[in-house]
Amino acid sequence: MTMQSQTQYRVAVDVGGTFIDFVLMDEETGAIRIEKVPSISDQLPGQFLKGLTAFGVSIDAVRHIFHGMTVAVNALIQERGARVGLITTKGFRDVLEMGRGGRKPVYDFVQKSPRPLVERYLRREVTERTSFKGDVLEPIDLKEVDDEVDYLLSKGTEAIAITFLHAYAHPSHEIAARDRILARYPHLPISLSHEIAAEWREYERTSTTVLNAFIQPTVKGYLDNLQQKLTDAGYIRPIAIMQSSGGVADVETAGKKPIRTLMSGPAGGVIGAKFLCSHLGYKNVICTDVGGTSYDVAIIEDGRILERSQTEIARRPVLGSLIDVISIGAGGGSIAWLDHRSGLQVGPQSAGASPGPVCFGRGGVEPTTTDAHLVLGRLDPDYFLGGRIKLDLAGARKAIEDRIATPLGISLETAAHGIVVIAETNMANAIRTKTVERGLDPREFVKLAYGGGGGLFACSVAEELEVPRVIVPVAPANFSAWGILTSDYVDDEVRTKVLSFDIQHIGETLPVLNELSERAVNAVAGYGFKREDIVLLRRLDLRFENQEYTITVDLEPDWMDAKTVLVGASDKFVSAHHRLYGHGDPAANLEQVSIRCRAIGRVRAPEIAKLSRPTKVATPKSRMVYFQSMGGAVATAIIERETIAPGHKLQGPAIVDEWTMTTVVPPGWNCLCDEYGNLILEPSGQ
Amino acid sequence: MSNIDVVLSEIIRNRLVAATEEMAKTLIRTAYNPLLYEVQDFAITIMSADGDIWAETPGVIVFSQGFPDAVRAGIRRWDGRFEEGDVLIVNDPFETGTHISDTNVYMPTFYNGRLIAFCGTAAHWADIGGKNPGGWCPDTTDMFQEGMCFQHQKIVAAGKKNEALWDFISANVRVPVIVKGDLEAQIAACRQGVARVQALCSKYGPNVVKSSMEHVIHETDIAMRKEIAKLPAGEYGASIRLDSDGVDPDGEFLVCLKVTVKNDRIHFSLDGSSPTAKGPINLPAPCTRGILASSVKGLLLPFDPCNAGHAKCLDFELPPATIINPTRPAPTDSYGYIVECLMELMFRCFANVIPEHCPAGGYQLTGGFITRTQGEFGKPFVMTDPVHGGNGATHDSDGPTNQLVGNGDLPSNPVEVMETRHPVLVTRLEFAPEMGGSGKFRGGKGVRKDYRFLEDGCYVALVTENTSDVTAKGINGGGNGLPGYFVFNPGAPNEKVYSKRVASVGPFPKGTVLRAITGGGGGWGSALERDPQMILADIRNGFLDPATAKAVCNIAVFEENGEWVIDHEQTQKLRAA
Repeated sequence: MTMQSQTQYRVAVDVGGTFIDFVLMDEETGAIRIEKVPSISDQLPGQFLKGLTAFGVSIDAVRHIFHGMTVAVNALIQERGARVGLITTKGFRDVLEMGRGGRKPVYDFVQKSPRPLVERYLRREVTERTSFKGDVLEPIDLKEVDDEVDYLLSKGTEAIAITFLHAYAHPSHEIAARDRILARYPHLPISLSHEIAAEWREYERTSTTVLNAFIQPTVKGYLDNLQQKLTDAGYIRPIAIMQSSGGVADVETAGKKPIRTLMSGPAGGVIGAKFLCSHLGYKNVICTDVGGTSYDVAIIEDGRILERSQTEIARRPVLGSLIDVISIGAGGGSIAWLDHRSGLQVGPQSAGASPGPVCFGRGGVEPTTTDAHLVLGRLDPDYFLGGRIKLDLAGARKAIEDRIATPLGISLETAAHGIVVIAETNMANAIRTKTVERGLDPREFVKLAYGGGGGLFACSVAEELEVPRVIVPVAPANFSAWGILTSDYVDDEVRTKVLSFDIQHIGETLPVLNELSERAVNAVAGYGFKREDIVLLRRLDLRFENQEYTITVDLEPDWMDAKTVLVGASDKFVSAHHRLYGHGDPAANLEQVSIRCRAIGRVRAPEIAKLSRPTKVATPKSRMVYFQSMGGAVATAIIERETIAPGHKLQGPAIVDEWTMTTVVPPGWNCLCDEYGNLILEPSGQ
Repeated sequence: MSNIDVVLSEIIRNRLVAATEEMAKTLIRTAYNPLLYEVQDFAITIMSADGDIWAETPGVIVFSQGFPDAVRAGIRRWDGRFEEGDVLIVNDPFETGTHISDTNVYMPTFYNGRLIAFCGTAAHWADIGGKNPGGWCPDTTDMFQEGMCFQHQKIVAAGKKNEALWDFISANVRVPVIVKGDLEAQIAACRQGVARVQALCSKYGPNVVKSSMEHVIHETDIAMRKEIAKLPAGEYGASIRLDSDGVDPDGEFLVCLKVTVKNDRIHFSLDGSSPTAKGPINLPAPCTRGILASSVKGLLLPFDPCNAGHAKCLDFELPPATIINPTRPAPTDSYGYIVECLMELMFRCFANVIPEHCPAGGYQLTGGFITRTQGEFGKPFVMTDPVHGGNGATHDSDGPTNQLVGNGDLPSNPVEVMETRHPVLVTRLEFAPEMGGSGKFRGGKGVRKDYRFLEDGCYVALVTENTSDVTAKGINGGGNGLPGYFVFNPGAPNEKVYSKRVASVGPFPKGTVLRAITGGGGGWGSALERDPQMILADIRNGFLDPATAKAVCNIAVFEENGEWVIDHEQTQKLRAA
């Protein structure tokens, strides 16, 4: 992408529940401007344009728009999507409704299964069968396909999902069915299981394919509308849509495979974290995003974002690469309560934005973590959100006193501190599942804290896990939107092919690796990248013969022939197995399960702006703030972030206030402002 | 309470639960045996130095309830002489409570030389020796035929592998690679638990960990008593008869349960249950107590992380030398039928007392084992495929179709995975809606699964029970679910139906089709009260035909422009009659 003399901009548009966040970035300097407009669910494209024009720059100066959207995930969670018809192999239409038959809350004898998104009479079967080896045991009956599609259309079906057994490896019947349908109904949206998720396990694949079909018309309609509005406004350059994998795709791909955009929201922050932290020289990062209701954790290990290949949305499985984000119900609005054992619990219920915490004075009666922080003196009742909301301290005190302290027979401060500590333990446990459980030592990581509540909890959670350093970035509440600006174009291709991983069979693996590589590279080349500029990652899911679960290992770029792939991948697998589980026999037979290829088209990396010296002068301020380690409330310095100059160092206890966030520097910690304006917090004496 | 930090005790409790979840993941991810990684036939438990449950993560809930008995037997056997780094192994059914295939592996956990806790895993092994591959013998007459028995031997002693014992195991099982892989997985899980408990001790001190958990157990006990006190006091009773013990054609196999709720305690008496069976359907006492305790916990506090406090308010009276409290060396390999029966009897006792937590009756275990042990027709294999079936309806919804009824979280085998591993082709996997009981809310549907054998020389064992006296009883006028059965070569001239358990039939030639039809669940309330809109949905979806709707629900329907609608006039007549 060539540069011209005029100032060029890149814009990120991140749609959230209450606001659409905009970040406009100067391509040259990395300087950013921020805009916010209300997120009105039925007027999103209009609001999108409104926020864009509010920057007052010529549309011609905008080179690239990056978009994180919630259309797909909202359609799923609210179960508002298309009427889907499902076509399956004869004998298997009930797989979608039957599921796997497990029951997670094991002692709940009356648990209800999730409703199937396609009612049984809209699940139709056709004669066809392929074996796992690819032998056609029964050819597909295309006349039946015609009849079933006509039936489905007569019942008002708006989208078709097709899942045939073993199509993850042998898709010819799915393709034949689609071609036949499109010949008669060229505009009917069709989702094929092997295109949406080429992995085995018929229930999980069917579920993913149906979910894709369910949201596709909604998402495509939104994107078409958006593109039209932008074209009308004179913008004809690329619109990059954030995917769950952390890479972007173009509008056409996102419209065809919207299931890949489910985690479009949380992905932005993690991508941004990777970009910022690699710039700062950190390879191991714990990313934490604290919102009003949830605490999202993701991990960057050795410069790579940890991913997973399956997740669940509203108890329905979704296959496909996504950033491994664990989300727990712990945020500023999380409610503190006593269970039947008089045990103190926090969350997962949240007071949300409405009524919100008691101290917001909007009718909330149940104490939240925000109320607890206020009682402990960590929030300024007169300067919350820059003074936009005046907090009701007396109300917060009364709620915690009545509902927690009195029933437990403990003091108000002990109760408030208990609420915060329980929330922090839940947060630490979430981080532990993503680090310690995977054999990663949190002491070798830094923790990046963003989202509106990040700074309140950052140091104490780090202390619990012995994470030695915490980073609070610039504009932490808008960090996710900024992060979207740093993403690259990505296409993922995967295929399940179960084979012994040995010299006799590696010859069957290499052609698939090449085919998938080619396909991924072609997809990214289709976005306008030169082939030589495209980065390719190849991965294999391996396991010991007789095991079921796999470990994904990365193939190095120069492993091209049978021997290097075989030896290199085997070594990596065995050492990973050792690290994760403490044992692993290097002589044991291995099996490969899935082959994964990812092509990346790199977008020019944005600059990170340096912090200029503050113009605002600090006025000394202090407040009594409770710290357990000090034995109670102590006089604590309150510093406005805008007044901190690069290189400035603070000693805890201190509170750093800014418009959208409060950062607690606990006793025994210090806080350094780096040249970019990031706050770097560390235990003193290190 | 004054000495206890209530916040800290909550933190320690959560940490221990998280530790068992980590242990479970390690076991699933490294196990070699589909019963563990796919079907989750295992449990993870962390216990105090006295064997009180601190935390658990069950696949099968009854395993962890029996673990304290096993560990206490180990403490007695070694007289407390454990060393750091010891790993012990026990599968004696009279100490673990289940059958000999379920092998408990546990580690005494030390901190600064002091015994603090035990971390354990119980897992169904792929093979344990004995007369039948893979266990679940249908016709043994003592435990010696069922497999080799461990009684707290040190499989690892003070961190050093007991190679002689490993060799001995290799020599006595049919699939040593898989068994040793699973054993490694169990040990890896235990080690992880030990590390977590030690980390907790180093952070808070071992005495704080111990006193905090004592506090948690105490508070849990109080919470249980509060729930029990809310129940109407009195006696509740039910009994059920099993078809067969696989050995004695003249035997009677009756399980009787009487539950007495008095003040804040529950007393269980199983008086009247049949004497020890000659065949392997007996259930040892630890598991009898365990499944009853699990049921009470699930009915009263389903979402509580489980600990020893949930069972303190329970008393048991198990008559000796009976089918629910047999004496060593009675056979116990098919113990699971009575586990399901006891849970069903609990549901019958409490369905109308705590309807919000208690379903109607569900299906009894059903499944086909397809095996080939001779190598002449191809690779030997053992394919265990428990199939999900109908669970009971509840007071506000139709019953689901799940694997097992109440005893855990066991996902089924995916067809695409199964076909890749074994020479079978599944040609049909669909609901058998006719198996579910009728009702205002219908019992869960059964499942119809057809397997075609792709190679010669396969034998089949058929698992089913309670075909005469069904487990899937309807509640408050709901219909009973039908029991499962099997058909060979359905629709062909050589079709053959099996409605009872069969130890082994075969060999079958390539091309043979085995159809398994699992039982349905019991319904809740009278079918006459079913919402007409739900009946229309049943008909539209092929779960009910119009003739049955008319006969059972007194509802007449007709088709209009391809949609089913209610014939109000006819329906009124039917309902008036």
